[in-house]
Amino acid sequence: MSVTTPSRPVAVTREREPRPPRAAAATWLIPLGYLAVSVFGVWWIAIDLTALQDGAGDIARLLERMLPPEFGSLSELVTLVLETLWIALAGTGVATVVSLPLAAAASRNFTGPRSVQWLVRGIIVVTRAVPSLVFAIVFVRIFGLGPFAGALAIAFHSVGMIAKMMADVFEELTPAPREAIGAVGASRFQNFTATTLPRSLPAISSLVLYRLDINIRASAVLGLVGAGGIGVALQTAIGSLNYQQAAGIIVVIGLLLLALELVSFLVQRAVAEHAQDGVTSELYRRTADPIRPGWNRARLLRTGGALIAAGALLYALTQVSFDPSRLGRSWQAAVDLVTGFFPPVIDSAVLTGIFESVVMALTATTVGVVIGLVIAILSTGHVVRFAPLSFALRVLVVLMRSVPDVIYALVFVAALGLGPFAGFLALSISCTALAAKFFTDALQGVDPGPLRALEATGASRLQVFVSGVWPRFVPSLIGNSLFTSDLALRESAVLGIVGAGGIGFVLQESVASLDYGTTAGVLICLVVVVVALEAVARWARTRVI
Amino acid sequence: MNVPGGDAADVGSRAQASLRLDGVGMSFGAKEVLAGIDLEVSPGQFVALVGPSGAGKSTLLRLLNGSHRPTVGTVSVLGTDPTKCSRRELQRLRTRIGFVFQQFGLVGRLSAMENVLMGALGSLRLPRYGVSSYPQDLRRRAAGNLERVGLIDARFQRCDTLSGGQQQRVAIARTLMQDAEIVLADEPVASLDPSSSLSVLETLRRLSAEDGFTVVCSLHQVDLALAISDRIVAVRDGSLVLDTATSQTNESQIRSIYQRNGPAT
Repeated sequence: MSVTTPSRPVAVTREREPRPPRAAAATWLIPLGYLAVSVFGVWWIAIDLTALQDGAGDIARLLERMLPPEFGSLSELVTLVLETLWIALAGTGVATVVSLPLAAAASRNFTGPRSVQWLVRGIIVVTRAVPSLVFAIVFVRIFGLGPFAGALAIAFHSVGMIAKMMADVFEELTPAPREAIGAVGASRFQNFTATTLPRSLPAISSLVLYRLDINIRASAVLGLVGAGGIGVALQTAIGSLNYQQAAGIIVVIGLLLLALELVSFLVQRAVAEHAQDGVTSELYRRTADPIRPGWNRARLLRTGGALIAAGALLYALTQVSFDPSRLGRSWQAAVDLVTGFFPPVIDSAVLTGIFESVVMALTATTVGVVIGLVIAILSTGHVVRFAPLSFALRVLVVLMRSVPDVIYALVFVAALGLGPFAGFLALSISCTALAAKFFTDALQGVDPGPLRALEATGASRLQVFVSGVWPRFVPSLIGNSLFTSDLALRESAVLGIVGAGGIGFVLQESVASLDYGTTAGVLICLVVVVVALEAVARWARTRVI
Repeated sequence: MNVPGGDAADVGSRAQASLRLDGVGMSFGAKEVLAGIDLEVSPGQFVALVGPSGAGKSTLLRLLNGSHRPTVGTVSVLGTDPTKCSRRELQRLRTRIGFVFQQFGLVGRLSAMENVLMGALGSLRLPRYGVSSYPQDLRRRAAGNLERVGLIDARFQRCDTLSGGQQQRVAIARTLMQDAEIVLADEPVASLDPSSSLSVLETLRRLSAEDGFTVVCSLHQVDLALAISDRIVAVRDGSLVLDTATSQTNESQIRSIYQRNGPAT
């Protein structure tokens, strides 16, 4: 090409010639780490082509036995679906209320005692690391079978999740209004309500709705350990080998979660529209009254939304309420449990279990990331532009996501027998769906301007993708892969409950046999592993993203 | 000043200096920010605090509302030493000191009325959320204060939809809710265009004259300082280099303070 470039003084620039930028260590260390663990995982879990072929045959035979699905008593199903919703709503609502002060104390802006801050941060780390199904096993032992234990389990796990995200929201706020209201002599509590709360409310609403979505998914399987909801019916159906009925319940759960996806999308959009900065729409209707603001659509939506949320929470609480006649027994069970925690037992069974969970999670993440990446590339039109394929892939991802992975694991265990192979397959499906969703969102978010410029130079689609899209996608690829394995690790810790390998089996056995020292050991190992993985993810984010 | 029920003690405290600094010095680690500051301001005065960026003006203002503690010397504000106050006592003292910030410190998503009402939080016990959670008499006062700064029509408008000048007026109306005896203003017009700057400072000046509160206002614009203040205090490199009645000085003398080798008085 005969484009002339402005001449530059060679003698000066020669010494200062910048070196080509080196890829951050994390961009190759992390994929290499996953690959190494996965190669080991293939050997450990004994995945080979024959096993996969035989497995496919077994699964096909099981699916045959599941068809046609049977729905049994419709009113019973509706009652159980509603119970699932109440568990999720009550748990999320309680967690939100509890999270507010915890998040305020955990955030960097907190000016109270350091000891309180560290205690609160510890609570958040621990509750976040322990999955709700694990809490459910423990709470069923204390409070007995039923939705109360389930709602409490959801609440405990959600406190960690919601408080962490809320604290992040608080920390991102500019300090100016807080400083201004501190200067008028307001107390810390008044200042929080006046300046921090209103500014973070849109972000909090959004994250609570997102958490509610996740919690309804989680509540659908709590019944597997007796903590209420539709999972109870599923457990009964599978336990009695009534696979047609089980299929009917899985379809109902799938439909429930699909409907939820739609509702959640609509509500999130409404909240987002209302939350933007500098929106010119009026907060209130203009009136002649100098001190009473008038009612308009925005105010009705705000007030109505808050009242509906509060009403729904109160109603949900009445539906999952605790039976006071159990108080004495529950107290005794709680005391036994807590005293039994000491000393914690971390024996070879616990260590093997946690190791198996980690291997399952990381191997499944690798599979999920690879397949999810292919799905995302094919469905975003950067390389292939074929609308029906893109649509079909997106529908496939939504359908895959509509079944919780414990249910996949249940089916695979029924078809292939007990062991980590069933768990690995279940996790691979959920990791694929998750990774595909994250990657699709990230690929769609790539700024199209530079891509058009590349296209204008005559570059092919593949060239545009490799040179224009990929470099900007890599940080998100690494970040989302780590996030996927974070979620997979928590899930793999509970798959053992249905016999699909990992630490869950040891945990359930320890609670059932009142060996609470081992229960404590499992919980400690789980927290350590999850926190360690999060630390790696944080390190990678600072290096790559 | 529209203090409801201003009593004899109140009048008594007014007879003293509003604020007083004796030999005040302040360091952040090894860096000395202020040194040997002596200053006394009488009630009702409008003092412009001028000086180059980094001279220590903001630190001086923050010493006065107890946000910072001096390394040496004593501070007295309305007869109280903020450094000797407990947290609660400092909260009480701050209800009598208004503070106007360069970045307004408003909650943009809330209405002008609610932001103004927040100025009364120091006199209330419980936290508040939403305009309707404040007592009616406070809401009436808030509307009155918005009227005084010319923004009554925008009372229920979101603050982040107002112009910079309007937002700073809301912030001033918020300090009026405190019935403050002193208003400290830290570069209140640095983010505003020239016409809004003048109008905001004139509003502050008028309110100070009407209500009789003392103002210490740090400014960069020499012309504005000359136009609105009774007294000009200049700080450079942490030391007080000029303290004079506005009528006794002129633009070139103050401008010389901004030059590296300018004269010190």
